[in-house]
Amino acid sequence: MHARMFAGAAGALALVVLAAVPAQAAAGDAQLSVLHGVPGLTVDVWVNGERTLDDFTPRSLAGPLSLPAGTYSVAITAADAADASSPAIGPVDLTLAANGNYTAVAYLSASGTPTATLFTNDVTPLAAGQGRLTVRHVAAAPGVDILAGGSAVISNLTNPNEKVLTLPAGTVSASVVATGTMSPALLGPADVAITEGTSTIVYAWGSATANPATLALAVQTITGLHGDPAGVPAGQVGLAADSGTPSWLPLGALAALLVVGAAIARGTLGGPALARRRADRSMR
Amino acid sequence: MRSRVALLGALLLVAGCSPDAPPPGQPTAAPSSIETAAAAPTAAAQPPVPLVPVVDAGLGASAPAATAPAPVRLAVPAVGVDLPVDPVGVDEAGQMALPDTAERTGWYRFGSAPGSPAGATVIAGHVDSWTSGLGQFSRLRDVPPGAEVSVTTADGAAHRYQVVEVVRVDKREAPVGQWFDRTGSPRLVLVTCGGTFDRGTGHYRDNVIVTAVPVG
Repeated sequence: MHARMFAGAAGALALVVLAAVPAQAAAGDAQLSVLHGVPGLTVDVWVNGERTLDDFTPRSLAGPLSLPAGTYSVAITAADAADASSPAIGPVDLTLAANGNYTAVAYLSASGTPTATLFTNDVTPLAAGQGRLTVRHVAAAPGVDILAGGSAVISNLTNPNEKVLTLPAGTVSASVVATGTMSPALLGPADVAITEGTSTIVYAWGSATANPATLALAVQTITGLHGDPAGVPAGQVGLAADSGTPSWLPLGALAALLVVGAAIARGTLGGPALARRRADRSMR
Repeated sequence: MRSRVALLGALLLVAGCSPDAPPPGQPTAAPSSIETAAAAPTAAAQPPVPLVPVVDAGLGASAPAATAPAPVRLAVPAVGVDLPVDPVGVDEAGQMALPDTAERTGWYRFGSAPGSPAGATVIAGHVDSWTSGLGQFSRLRDVPPGAEVSVTTADGAAHRYQVVEVVRVDKREAPVGQWFDRTGSPRLVLVTCGGTFDRGTGHYRDNVIVTAVPVG
């Protein structure tokens, strides 16, 4: 009995999950994420009149949703509104291109008015070893500079704009300051991981003028953008070469002999293999 | 909230098929679920909310993804290879950066590791070098298919592989996308140099590649 009930409940769970998952992602679908950057406001997000995000809280990131290319009407209402007829933000029309990658952000304008905008995420492949850092200003705050390693790496970034940097993988300690200043830090310093093959999108959101200030950082990452090394150069001298011509002659000959001599002296050379190659050469 | 209500509704429906007992934890006349009962009619009247993953985007809110331990030692007993492994990345030209000596090898740290659920673990080493002469990797070309390879990771685990293929390819046609693939079945790819040596460029013309698959 219990076993049967459990199976029944599990089946129902599976049904519910199946019904709730958005239509299967298809080739060419756009990817849409949604970031909530309006402090102190729990909302519902409606897409084309359908409630898509319920009780969506500040600093939350939803998605990505796979959506066929097209134009979508997005409205943001108070949580548990009966429908999308009296939105707090929008409705705004978002046009999504095939294969595009987007983040719709609900945020405060520079003057503190709740609004929403659609950012296009750069998902072009990165070179091996590199990561992409995008900084977006979606806070009720004046223009800012981003300081890293004691100097401004981004200058005069204003709401609602972004700057994109390509950086070697690693960790960046970054501070946000008012444009043209070095201190005080409005935010940070904070360690931001630049992950190889990943787009790291940092949002400065909230309000600098609210009391207390609600300025904060949020992060979105998009993985799988890595490139491959161009090649594997794994030899320097020519000691293992197939060619009958000792390619290191004449200039390299002395050095190569020294290398071989040193290696033999240290007993690091494979005896039979080297002997065979020497024999090959002397026979030609 | 609403999706949870929908789920409860479905569970209750299923419970209706087994009239003998209420489902565990969800008594039909539960005084504690007044809120649920009140919300249920609303849920029934509205289409279900899609299940969209939602995460806290606060800086540092999500722990960095767990990474598999790095390989620290590589052994191919059949040809007397037993070398330390260092984590490496790329050089300024975008090529895989190897330890300068042929007495150490490099693991491509941005790619998969032996414990990764998918993709190729790439370990490359110089066939020879100015500082150390001919290296053990010069014998990779002689590895017989079926030979055992062992990779020890930083956590002390020994990962065993079996060689399935040894090939030599012209560097100009090297399938680097295949070697460094981070998807597909877990596998081990050993890379070194071979073929003729081009003294104009100071490089060998070919790469020698050993591919091995996990055992057991």
